[in-house]
Amino acid sequence: MKAVYAIACLLALSAVSADVCYNEVSMECGRATSSLALPSCNAVYGNFGRQGNVANELQAYANLHLRRSYEYLLSAAYYNNYQTNRDGFHKLFKKLSDEAWAKTVEIIQHVTKRGGTMDFRSRSSLETEARESTLELQELESLAHALDTQKEMAERAFFIHQEATRNNHKTHDPEIAQYLEEEFIEDQAKTVRDLAGHTSDLKQFITANEGKDLSLALYLFDEYLQKVV
Amino acid sequence: MKIFLAIVVLLAVCSSAFGTQCNVNPVNIPKQWITMTHGCRSSVRQQIQMEVSASIQYLAMGAHFSRDSVNRPGFAKLFFDASSEEREHAMKLIEYLLMRGELTTNVTSLITIRPPERKHWASGVDALEDALKMETEVTKAIKNVIIKCESDRDGQGHENNDYHLVDYLTGDFLEEQYKGQRDLAGKASTLKKMMERHSSLGEFIFDKKLLGMDI
Ligand SMILES: [Fe+2]
Ligand SMILES: [Fe+2]
Repeated sequence: MKAVYAIACLLALSAVSADVCYNEVSMECGRATSSLALPSCNAVYGNFGRQGNVANELQAYANLHLRRSYEYLLSAAYYNNYQTNRDGFHKLFKKLSDEAWAKTVEIIQHVTKRGGTMDFRSRSSLETEARESTLELQELESLAHALDTQKEMAERAFFIHQEATRNNHKTHDPEIAQYLEEEFIEDQAKTVRDLAGHTSDLKQFITANEGKDLSLALYLFDEYLQKVV
Repeated sequence: MKIFLAIVVLLAVCSSAFGTQCNVNPVNIPKQWITMTHGCRSSVRQQIQMEVSASIQYLAMGAHFSRDSVNRPGFAKLFFDASSEEREHAMKLIEYLLMRGELTTNVTSLITIRPPERKHWASGVDALEDALKMETEVTKAIKNVIIKCESDRDGQGHENNDYHLVDYLTGDFLEEQYKGQRDLAGKASTLKKMMERHSSLGEFIFDKKLLGMDI
């Protein structure tokens, strides 16, 4: 009798296709077994994790932040050894590392917020084979590296945003777009601009006075970084 | 073409070692004060990698307990916090090496990011016990670093005891390990007792306690 009732309920409700979780509950609760599967009662909605690759891209974005966070940590360490001894550069990279680390955790939390599972092996479709490169760079090189990698992260946010907002019903996901805008895109513009500004300053100091100012310029610029970072 | 590439790579490598128009020539200052021995240094480097791996393993635990189907925000918070702590341990050891005049070279190879070994736990108890097991391994590894640094040989083959590093690891690191292990063991015991009679409610309530919530 119960089963008949459940089926009747199900038929009545199947007109509203969105009630999948409710329907499962109605079905399963009516059965005599003591187990409830309810596979549709989850946080997944929209296209996240279904057809589009927004879910995969977001996981890959967390992995990128994790990798960069430890790379920046090593750059910070390098600038804190007794030979380089540049406290300002150390501080700059330490800050980039801390920010990337905090974002790693936040993105993982957002993946699970949308009903996804974090996969630490996910790679972006934009990613090419990572080339081995040294992090033991001199001052201007290290700023250039920081600028390039920060731009890469900013452009990756644009890419995921594009996937989430392009007029494609398979990937459209305004929640992800809004999340990226609020938590990433605005701050990234500032970070990129700051690093580009530092690079311009340092470039001028290096070439000024036929390069004779170089060692004092690097020293002073490092002192300056200690104040502004 | 290949030769050209090789030259470019060579130039890139050399530019860091010698002065260019963009950087100052490296200077030479006395090095007698740099006294860490080879074996001790490499065991500390390995320990740094181990702390980093632990931080990633804890990230995976935080991710697991954040899932909609698992829904244990208290456990997730515990493990995300533990993850950041492990990163701080790596940073403390790096700072120690820097204080001792290390990490002027071979900085890039210090840390490799690998995906976590485990990504699924059957329950909160399972995860707490797994974390305890991991911490026990870390403690053992720190003890091995201590043993190595206590009786290593320097470049001339003389016995060398790195008193200060040994003291630092024993006092700071081991103390934190033992406290952390005791904390995890206590949590696992309490939870297991709650689970014995009331398995699902027990974990639910314990999770909210971890969040600092009174229910
Ligand atoms: Fe640790
Ligand atoms: Fe630990």
